[in-house]
Amino acid sequence: MNPDQSKMKQDCANKVECMEMLQLIIDGEATTAQKEHFLTHHLEGCLPCYKNYHLELKIRELLKTNCCGGQVPSDLVNAIKSKINSVG
Amino acid sequence: MTEEAPKQQYSEQQRNSIFHDEFMPHISSMYNFAYRLTMDGDDAKDLLQDTYLKAYRFIESFQQGTNAKAWLFRILKNSFINDYRKKSKEPSKVDYQDVESFYNSDDVDRQITPDLRVEALQDMIGDEISDALNSLDVDFKTVIILADLEEFKYDEMARILDIPIGTVRSRLHRARNLLKEKLSEYAKKMGYKNA
Repeated sequence: MNPDQSKMKQDCANKVECMEMLQLIIDGEATTAQKEHFLTHHLEGCLPCYKNYHLELKIRELLKTNCCGGQVPSDLVNAIKSKINSVG
Repeated sequence: MTEEAPKQQYSEQQRNSIFHDEFMPHISSMYNFAYRLTMDGDDAKDLLQDTYLKAYRFIESFQQGTNAKAWLFRILKNSFINDYRKKSKEPSKVDYQDVESFYNSDDVDRQITPDLRVEALQDMIGDEISDALNSLDVDFKTVIILADLEEFKYDEMARILDIPIGTVRSRLHRARNLLKEKLSEYAKKMGYKNA
């Protein structure tokens, strides 16, 4: 899980393409083959992509934990239901 | 509101059951979306209420078995643009169209990924993340909400936003970079020199 970072490439020759692929993977839009190729063949040997991938995952996790909440005001739910009942 | 699907014929009972069983369960996500768009509790309530009333009024444009959540998000987004954007307390500085021409410039592929590190993020309390998201221009904030919080697929986002999938991808890419820039600023304030 934690590869030896000193043995990894310190620079990526395909930054733009890799960022695009990384985004597809994060968003669940990459094919199984694309995912397999990137995660097993590229990521473990490329430090910038390895870091970017884990950074993106972390940000997504933090967004989900911190920005999803918020209780809907209960009077709002009731107001919507009663309006629907009166027009329906 | 004009969806491609042919109009459905629902009985009153069917309409009510769709509304309560398929529309109401998304109210929490919808409220969060409304709140982050308007950045005002009262406006968010009004926007949400308008959206649900419209959903009921146009329920025959909704095809059962299709994605109710995406359908509702699209109505909310359109209502926001038409009715709330002008009076929003934090009016957007740029218009959708203006932003699009910017996306199409070479700037899109500019690698501005800040050197933000996972360790710096771990020390942040939730407020920084939420503030960073809220600080983004509404178009960028919207794609992050749809993709990262609500996990819509690109084709669903394209339909919700009425833009091509390619634009969804480039807008999302840009939005994430802007979010990282913002988080990087917070990290620097917290003392992470290279964040």
